[in-house]
Amino acid sequence: MKRGENEYWNPIIETLPRERLTEIELKRFRDTLRWAKEGSPFYRKKLHGIEPEDIRTLEDVTRVPMTEKDELREAQEGKGFSLYGDLLAVPPEKLSVFHQTSGTTGKPVFFPDTYESWQLVVDIWCYILYAAGFRSTDRVFLPFVYNVYIAFWQGHYAAEKLGCEVVPGGGLETKARIQKMKDVQATALMNTPTYGLHMIEVAKEMGIDPKRDLRIKKMICAGEPMPEPSRLRLEEEWGADVYDHIGGTEPGGWAGMCSQKKGMHVIEPYFLFEMVDLETMSKPIPSGMKGVAVITPLCRRCIPLIRFNLKDIMTKRDDPCPCGRTSVRVDQIGGRVDDLRKIRGVFFSPNMVEEVIRAQFPEVVEFETLLTQEGVMPVLTLKVELAPSVSESQSKETKNRIREKLKIRTNLTFQVEFVKPGGLPRYSLKSARFKDMTRR
Amino acid sequence: MEYDLKAMDLEIKAIEERTKRLKELARGFEAVEKNAEAILAFVYLLRKNVSDIVE
Repeated sequence: MKRGENEYWNPIIETLPRERLTEIELKRFRDTLRWAKEGSPFYRKKLHGIEPEDIRTLEDVTRVPMTEKDELREAQEGKGFSLYGDLLAVPPEKLSVFHQTSGTTGKPVFFPDTYESWQLVVDIWCYILYAAGFRSTDRVFLPFVYNVYIAFWQGHYAAEKLGCEVVPGGGLETKARIQKMKDVQATALMNTPTYGLHMIEVAKEMGIDPKRDLRIKKMICAGEPMPEPSRLRLEEEWGADVYDHIGGTEPGGWAGMCSQKKGMHVIEPYFLFEMVDLETMSKPIPSGMKGVAVITPLCRRCIPLIRFNLKDIMTKRDDPCPCGRTSVRVDQIGGRVDDLRKIRGVFFSPNMVEEVIRAQFPEVVEFETLLTQEGVMPVLTLKVELAPSVSESQSKETKNRIREKLKIRTNLTFQVEFVKPGGLPRYSLKSARFKDMTRR
Repeated sequence: MEYDLKAMDLEIKAIEERTKRLKELARGFEAVEKNAEAILAFVYLLRKNVSDIVE
């Protein structure tokens, strides 16, 4: 077999029978509990009364308390120079990398790594990139300025480890990045879905058709949920295979899409993955039902995380994947619990809007959903920026169709307003297309 | 495709043992000690990728 022709990064682990994966995960879960109790004062207190040896089945795992993001935040509050409070399970002099959460839902959480734990999360990303077809023959372009956030650091180092040639396109503005991609004949790209769509717009202004004039053949997206219509649009416009993955600062990357592009494989047995119900966020639910993801990274020893509530809404699948991987798959993120609203008795997630717009309205360049209140009544407004080529009569028809399609998808009535070209913000990292003005 | 995981595991253990010995020999000799530590980080990954499966 020639170098780079293998289907799997780890042909043994990725095709292990499910029973064996569960066995390894339970052992690693016990090891993680032991390590956390010994090394981390936070977990020593939290796991008081839990004996690692007693965890023998997946049902036993549910007896271990979950960890919430707010607990991590509180544990770091006012800890001065030590920064990480009681969370660390290693001596501070072992730390070598600093990252932090974006602070979208509160004060940012600082999350360091040792050299070892950083190499581990990079290795896990190798599984993700390899499944997405990245190989040593690729020249990978990263159109991002790396900073305190974890976004794309793992991807950069994993691509390097795979043997790809990595082109850091950070300190450039969008036009210069597109030109650079063309000049260096990049074959692969890592970006947020939003930025991937934005680059199409800018490339066209430059007279460049990404599908025709660039050589990008694969793209992996990160940083925000990517509804299927957005993924398909990116594939169409870039003429590339577009893959999604799931990750975050605390767990690192933990699931990725394979060549089948039907959901994302959890990187087992590096993570123990669970799903709990939306209502109580505690009861386990079966495959096929929408729920909240709970994850335990099993080998990252710097700051252990036990049953971390990700607050991402998704669905677990248990149908076998034709790619041969035996790991559990999840469907793309259907929103965040934090963004979920009950409006006039109906559950609403901003992702629903994106699904409708990206799938059915290619003439919409950018959009933003606002939730406001008039008296006691919540009001949903969609601000829409159309392509300059759309005529006035077409725009009237588009407005009506958007209202109609949103009503069908969400069972809610939207006010639709047009804004002038360039009137809505463009995002290169996490987009913020949903603004809840009732919570300010 | 057949891989001899047991043989790989033995090699991983041997590398770990020798690297630990090298680190011990080089205590305070940062250029050796830190590189030995880096090797041990990768040994940890090899254990996770191979040895845990054999056990």
